[in-house]
Amino acid sequence: MHEVVQAVILGVLVGGIYALMASGLTLVFGIMKVINVAQGALVILAAYLSYALFSHLHIDPFLSILIVTPAMFVLGVAVQLIFVRSLRGPDASDLSLLVTWALALGIEGVLSVIFKTTFRVTSPSYADNSWTIFGYQVSEVRLFAFVASAVLLFLLSLLLTRSRFGRSVRATVQNPTAATLLGVDANRVQTLSFGLGVSMAAAAGAVYGVIYPFNPGSHYDLISRLLSIVVLGGLGSIGGAVVAALTMGVVESLVAVEIAPVWSSFSFFIVLIVFLLVRPQGIFGLRERTL
Amino acid sequence: MIRNTLARLAVLMGAGGLAAAAATAGSAAPRHVSAAPIKIGISLSLSGDFSDPGKFAQQGYKLWAKTVNAKGGVLGRQVQLIIQDDASSPTQAATNYQNFITKNKVDLVFGPFSTLLSAPSAAVAHRYGYAFIEPAGGGPAVFDEKLNNVFFTQPAPVIESGDVFANWILSLPKSQRPKTAAYPALDDPFSSPIADRIRGILEKAGVKTVYKSIYASETTDMTPIVSKIAAAKPDAIIGGTQAGDGYALVKALVQAKYSPKFLFLANGPNSPGEFPSKVGAKNVNGIFSASDWFPQARNPGNPAFVKAYVKAYGGTAAAIDPGAAEAFAVGQVVEAVAKKIGSIDNTKVIAALHKGTWPTVEGVLSWNAIGQPQGQDLLVEWIGGKLYPVAPAKVALKKPFFPKPGWGK
Repeated sequence: MHEVVQAVILGVLVGGIYALMASGLTLVFGIMKVINVAQGALVILAAYLSYALFSHLHIDPFLSILIVTPAMFVLGVAVQLIFVRSLRGPDASDLSLLVTWALALGIEGVLSVIFKTTFRVTSPSYADNSWTIFGYQVSEVRLFAFVASAVLLFLLSLLLTRSRFGRSVRATVQNPTAATLLGVDANRVQTLSFGLGVSMAAAAGAVYGVIYPFNPGSHYDLISRLLSIVVLGGLGSIGGAVVAALTMGVVESLVAVEIAPVWSSFSFFIVLIVFLLVRPQGIFGLRERTL
Repeated sequence: MIRNTLARLAVLMGAGGLAAAAATAGSAAPRHVSAAPIKIGISLSLSGDFSDPGKFAQQGYKLWAKTVNAKGGVLGRQVQLIIQDDASSPTQAATNYQNFITKNKVDLVFGPFSTLLSAPSAAVAHRYGYAFIEPAGGGPAVFDEKLNNVFFTQPAPVIESGDVFANWILSLPKSQRPKTAAYPALDDPFSSPIADRIRGILEKAGVKTVYKSIYASETTDMTPIVSKIAAAKPDAIIGGTQAGDGYALVKALVQAKYSPKFLFLANGPNSPGEFPSKVGAKNVNGIFSASDWFPQARNPGNPAFVKAYVKAYGGTAAAIDPGAAEAFAVGQVVEAVAKKIGSIDNTKVIAALHKGTWPTVEGVLSWNAIGQPQGQDLLVEWIGGKLYPVAPAKVALKKPFFPKPGWGK
């Protein structure tokens, strides 16, 4: 029982970080129907930026969120304007896969040249500390990362529900045509939302580098997990992504402890396949109506 | 439609991976001599996943060429390296060797980086009767083909690299040996067999296995595995690791506050330049690993190699990657065999290398019929924040230190 509870604690903490990464991915999909498969690479890019800030300027990785996130927001806006906005027509979503995949490979290539392919870890002095609470180990950085993720997700939800921009975003998600007719500047909403999605990846990346060793190729594993989470949560649903991320984090951890570690990564896909069979719209997704 | 596409993508992308291709060619410029230079074809991973280790091998090869040319070459002929990038692709590596032999008409070929690329390349060389002396293809895939032209220039095949640890444990009085052990291992042909072999030896000696598991290569989070290990309270943890998972395993052990009496990891701790920065310099002490080469090793030509390397590439002796020494050793073998038989004819070279012993910076090497080296690796251990060879005794610079101190000590 002790092992199970410990596994659940670990899973929830990890799931919180996945949730932050996946929220950006699902937000962009909800608004633009763009599947940003570069989200994993953007997380890794942010991890490197945070690593560089820590190594060269001794800026704490959690503090670096305040620098990396706005910088990556600007990058996201630029990517949307240059690469994504020009995609039009019925194949735009499928084409976005190719464009963002190319972006992912480009980021990986540039990082390989600059930072080489060896593994890096951002190691602040408290990186190895953990608290013992009722006999359970709770890693400080993982708890900090979880709290940071929760705060950022809360801020994102405030932005989407309490601001004029948020109303425009939600209107565009629900009915883009009607939103445009009512005066929402769809181009602006899409550009800013893409930037917002990328900045979520950035914040998650800054903390990811403290927890896991990473190299430029780490994004392959990450994006496969993130896509599973957003499909499971229901495409376009941030709440769904959060629930799915926490669920997947716990399932992965429990499988590693109770069944076998070799099945733990694969458990993501087993859960996904089962869900697609019984509830294809995901946890919070709406069933698509067909005529 | 999008949902279907995305779902398929999510399922399929786990194995995704592409390498950017770029072709570069380099050569160690020969001096002007009357005899035609000896042309040596080498495919190296100068881009893609193995570009870092590939470049270390390139350094070793080039340094050997420079050194031997300065001494007048091999059999009085200067050495000319024809290095072609394979972008870390096994197919491209095999194509490169095909081209070296059929188009460039090279006299000799030297091996690429890693087992993945060496196995198909060795087969190409074998088809044309070329000796395939190689620095980094020590995995089962290379030897499973049972080719007589392969000669691996490290002291032992990769999967036997942990034997030196198991043998050292058995050399201890029974009261000091671990009573229980845990074996987490990466699902990888070079990693899990190392842990399996150690387990086989230790179980036979009465060390009880309390945990064993294989984890997938995409496993980034080692904490669930470590929480299970910590619950089993083993005296020894023997990890069949590569670099990234090795670092993650140590970090997870630190966070779980579990420090075993013996900790051996197949890879990770054996990178002196990398390991302390990845797991925290204060957490390295008492951790064992295996290594094929060490800067202070008194192997034939090693002090001169270390000196020449530092002069050529800068840095410190401690920061030299073993990959450079492994590649340098390939050149030393050719130099020695040419001197002994007075020829670089591939058939004669292959026949000669199957007999006798060959002095290199990696030690005095000898091979069985399929190119497996017959020595054993070094057991290395972090002591006082530095990595030392601690066994076998005749090459050790320090005595093994155990039990492992707690984390941060």
